[in-house]
Amino acid sequence: MNAQMAAALAAEEAAIYAYGALGVKLTGTGDRTEARAAEAIHRNRRDVLVTRLAALNAGTATSPAGYQIPFEITDRESALKLAIQVEDGVAQAWRAVLPATQGDDRATALSALIDSAVRATRWRRLGSVTPATMAWPGRP
Amino acid sequence: MVLTDRVHRRQLLGAAAGTAVAGSVLAGCGLFDDDPQPAPQPDALQPVLDEALRLAAAYDRVAVTQPGLQKRLSPLAEDHRAHAAALAALIGVTLPSAAPSGGPGGEAAQTVAALRKAEQAAQKTAVAACREAPAERVALVGSIAAARAAHAEALR
Repeated sequence: MNAQMAAALAAEEAAIYAYGALGVKLTGTGDRTEARAAEAIHRNRRDVLVTRLAALNAGTATSPAGYQIPFEITDRESALKLAIQVEDGVAQAWRAVLPATQGDDRATALSALIDSAVRATRWRRLGSVTPATMAWPGRP
Repeated sequence: MVLTDRVHRRQLLGAAAGTAVAGSVLAGCGLFDDDPQPAPQPDALQPVLDEALRLAAAYDRVAVTQPGLQKRLSPLAEDHRAHAAALAALIGVTLPSAAPSGGPGGEAAQTVAALRKAEQAAQKTAVAACREAPAERVALVGSIAAARAAHAEALR
């Protein structure tokens, strides 16, 4: 369970970093409000994970030394593309937590998977990417 | 049909091998073998499967009555069909050709708003199933819950 949760933590850290980088390229108020809300959610989840991993004596996972943005963010379109990619990645990390957990930990993982799938869909709609949904969110 | 077959087989056995052998065959089978078996407990994921089929059918119906929505709705229907196929394979049942009737899951959904409500209700079913699912099933059910939530978002 600890390994999967540590991977989820890494995904959340990457998401926080990515939202910081992509936010400046977003235009409209709707985009920016959404990005700020998403970043706050990912920060909150990161904090919950750090606390939980500490309680499990898993040690404080070290932050990724330097998260690499997978492509250059030059405009709104590439910013939205990264937001979609980030949420898909977070969904994958949390889906992997499900089989390793039960009870509250599993509920946390499921909520995060669902939230990221919904956010990815929202970004696809904002970016007019079709289809806006996928059959298997979180499946690598 | 099964009962009839058994009777025929017994009659044939009896005729061919004589009453003594036929009697032992009957004793071996036991009287209770002819009683209908109690229905097996439905799989915990059967409700999730039923909902996937009902939702796919509901999308199809709305796409017929409102053809302008077809392009938007058909990917969502396809997602549900993919879920149904995967669940049927996992449970070990054959997919029915028509969606099961009755129960929640988009049966009466005629509008996008109604489809959205049906997705939200179906999401709750999948979430509940996910919480109880054994490890080897939970990722699949979790993805289905997430897909249903994303569908509801797409219909906003």
